[in-house]
Amino acid sequence: MEYVSPLDPRVAQPVRPAPRPAGLAGRTVVLLDIRKARGDEFLDRLAELLHERGAATVRMAKETFSKPASGEVVAAVPLHGDLAVEALAD
Amino acid sequence: MVPGLTASLPALDGPALRLADAVGEGPAVLLFVHADCPTSLLALRRLPAETPLPLVVIAQDTLPEAARLARRARPHARVLVDVPPYAVSREWDVTTVPTAVLVRAGGGPGRRVVGWDREALAGLLGVPLPDEPPAQKPGCGSRWTYQEQPGGLDELEDMFERGWSDGLPVVPPTRERVEAMLGGRDPARSLGRVPPVGGEATLERVAACAVLAGCRPEHFPLVEAAVEAALDPAFNIHGINVTTQPAGPIVIVNGPARERAGLNSGMGALGPGTRGNATVGRALRLCLSLTGGAVPGGLDRSTLGHPGKVGLCIAENEEASPWPPLHVERGFAAGASTVTVLACDAPLSVSDHRSRSAEELALVLARAAEATWSPFWWPMDDDTLFVVCPEHAALFAAAGWDKQRLRREIFEAAVRPAGELRRGETTPIVRESRDDESIHKWTDRERILIVCAGGEAGRYSAVFGPCDGMGTRPVTREVRWST
Repeated sequence: MEYVSPLDPRVAQPVRPAPRPAGLAGRTVVLLDIRKARGDEFLDRLAELLHERGAATVRMAKETFSKPASGEVVAAVPLHGDLAVEALAD
Repeated sequence: MVPGLTASLPALDGPALRLADAVGEGPAVLLFVHADCPTSLLALRRLPAETPLPLVVIAQDTLPEAARLARRARPHARVLVDVPPYAVSREWDVTTVPTAVLVRAGGGPGRRVVGWDREALAGLLGVPLPDEPPAQKPGCGSRWTYQEQPGGLDELEDMFERGWSDGLPVVPPTRERVEAMLGGRDPARSLGRVPPVGGEATLERVAACAVLAGCRPEHFPLVEAAVEAALDPAFNIHGINVTTQPAGPIVIVNGPARERAGLNSGMGALGPGTRGNATVGRALRLCLSLTGGAVPGGLDRSTLGHPGKVGLCIAENEEASPWPPLHVERGFAAGASTVTVLACDAPLSVSDHRSRSAEELALVLARAAEATWSPFWWPMDDDTLFVVCPEHAALFAAAGWDKQRLRREIFEAAVRPAGELRRGETTPIVRESRDDESIHKWTDRERILIVCAGGEAGRYSAVFGPCDGMGTRPVTREVRWST
């Protein structure tokens, strides 16, 4: 039986995660604050732990937690670091 | 004629396989099944993890049907697919499913067990089967023995297996039904991309959602306008779709469309009972969850959700209302038909049969709203919807209050000193204010929306709390009736 699908086949493919890094020493990690309450506290602690492991950190932020990051932010993240962590908190 | 093992069949776990390679030198057991047969499903679910003889399941299905059957039953056996016209099943003279056939060493057919017979099948497989009822159950006709009906024997189950549902049965979106829903509109026209996954809301996909939801073609212009409104950036459907908040969209219909689409704005206006109300909101929701990928527990991260997220569409009772309707307040002509989408929580009913003054009743509505979203979260910056029943509206009108006056009075009644609000979850504004500083429940009185709906008897209004902090605003679109 032929049905009309409500799905868009172009977005049905799951995105494969990037391979895990071999190590953190000498790498720069972008810590992206999505601007959810207390996300900065979470990232502060994460930065301490990363520094202990020899990584440098760069702080960036989305415009608002309730919307996707702008194209500018998405494009800028890989220019500023080798790895990225996006903070969600509440 | 002795059936052979030379046929090559598609396999669910790899490339196509010759039957001879699947069964080896024999003996082995072939188990014929199909996806529309409950007894086949039962047999597959009862198969042991290991059998002394090699066991091969042969599904009389298309590949997608066989894959769905395997996902449902998770059999402990390799599954090969005997696609239409089911040549292998014919060759092995299998007229009933399930049928288990022993393949002797060297390839010839041996004993067979027809239907579900626990003891006989255990004997054939040489291993005990779970001691659960039923011990026996008749099978179903093999696919090749009957003329198939469109959609197989159970197309409603098929919809669930595809994931094209909100948990309730849906209407299968056949090509004919979708074309009838489109009514000549351009199926490729896009209303935009639906967050979070960004599926393109072509009219054809929106129509498929409307069919699934149970809409009739006269409901489709409302669905189209609702999807268009929801995709307006001002509505921020991305945030609403993925938030942990319970909120979902509500569709408010104004103008002649209410009658044309058979919507109920009177007794029981918030539902259930009327097809148009039930299906228009549901169609929008299905578009968001299917085309947009906002599936509860998946990318829809709502902690609780609420029952109205299945779909919520109300019509303003303009005939019983003493006030200009919502769409006129929002700048549309009185004769226009519009839909307004708004993000909100589940409704809180407000009973008041005792207030005799407009001031008293406004205070009751304000106090009810004070508890919405979170009791100490003041002020809220997104929109709250008050659905005022006709008897309450008449009391306000008798006092000479228009909607703007009621809005102002509710706003002014919901005010507290900051010192009373420093509990639990509160706002930076409260934390930074002096104890005696007055804080309103809303940042602005324009965050209060008022519509009149409901039956003429009974003094029950309702307040829908907002999807707060989401930066969402109500969006209104005119309904286009022509193609």
